[in-house]
Amino acid sequence: MCIIEPGQSGECRVRINVDGVLQTVVYGFPCSIHIDPIEKKPLFHFLPGTGILSIATVGCNLHCRNCQNWEISQANPEDTEALYPASEQLGKWWPPERLIKWTKRYGCPSLAYTYTDPIIFYEYTYDTAKLARAEGIRSVLVTAGYINREPWERLLEVVDAANIDLKGITNDFYVRICSGTLKPVQDALVLARASGILVEVTNLIIPTLNDRPEDIRELSRWVKMNLGSETPLHFSGFYPQYKMRHLPRTSLKMLEMAREIAMSEGLHYVYIGNVRSKEGENTYCPDCKSLLIERSGYTILQNHLKDGHCPDCGREIYGVWK
Amino acid sequence: MTRRKFVQKVIKAGSAIIVGVWWLAKKTAPRKFVWAVKTRKYPGPLKPLRNIPKQSKWSG
Repeated sequence: MCIIEPGQSGECRVRINVDGVLQTVVYGFPCSIHIDPIEKKPLFHFLPGTGILSIATVGCNLHCRNCQNWEISQANPEDTEALYPASEQLGKWWPPERLIKWTKRYGCPSLAYTYTDPIIFYEYTYDTAKLARAEGIRSVLVTAGYINREPWERLLEVVDAANIDLKGITNDFYVRICSGTLKPVQDALVLARASGILVEVTNLIIPTLNDRPEDIRELSRWVKMNLGSETPLHFSGFYPQYKMRHLPRTSLKMLEMAREIAMSEGLHYVYIGNVRSKEGENTYCPDCKSLLIERSGYTILQNHLKDGHCPDCGREIYGVWK
Repeated sequence: MTRRKFVQKVIKAGSAIIVGVWWLAKKTAPRKFVWAVKTRKYPGPLKPLRNIPKQSKWSG
């Protein structure tokens, strides 16, 4: 819980207590708006091969020492440029209606709240996602899942998919590296999966901090036991950033070992990210092992799925495919 | 003052104190879910958006 005294901002730097009224200074003021391939989120089981309008505001409620987007997540709004639409004369901000309009203008079927954490621009995310659903646009959260139960349940009602970080499997890791705790994240993951939205999980493997085989095995077991073996798990490669520039990059060998461990624990869809891999980016049928989707980076090279089923054995594949 | 009236007054005063303490505790206790109000005014610099189709340099 973040207790904000009058005149102060919270851990996230963007929510301020003004005379007893909580204000958000980033509603309608994204610092980043781009169209990314959805595979970049990463989401491999949600509308593959489509573009996704992706937005973020400045700020974050965690302070990971390895943050890859620290220039915007650990910055003050006073020091960070927010964007306004140069071509429109309706005001220098982005109300939800305008985001939806632009999502449609660029032909994107979905909108992502990402890069920093949608939890800190919660009201903006909620209002936009609610409107997006009414307009036939899907919403995707890319989040660390560090949130209380009540607001999380409410947010899950208006979104369609989420990639949630499980940064480590020990509370000590969350305390030392992220200035957070593990339990709220695990609870958020379980709630998200139970809510029926599509959930994929990402674990960033940082050499010497969370790369022990026993940690990876425990994390994989936790995912299988609590989220199910169908839940896609992405092992992502670390590269030196922010306060962790002294550590080496994660090797492909390490990521391949993690993938092998997770699959041996019974997870069906385990992927490797941030590093090019021959098989670690592809989706295979868990039953007959046929190649279903071949990827190279964020590009889909082949997609053999037929209405979300394996074309060879007919097995249903977890995901939202159209 | 009769004994009955005295007891009634004590009960009323006690109830008022309990309600007051409950109200104060509820008002001052930290809340886990607070819906923030939008300010419509960004405290930092603004710049026009260019090249939206360009893939982001940020992770995620």
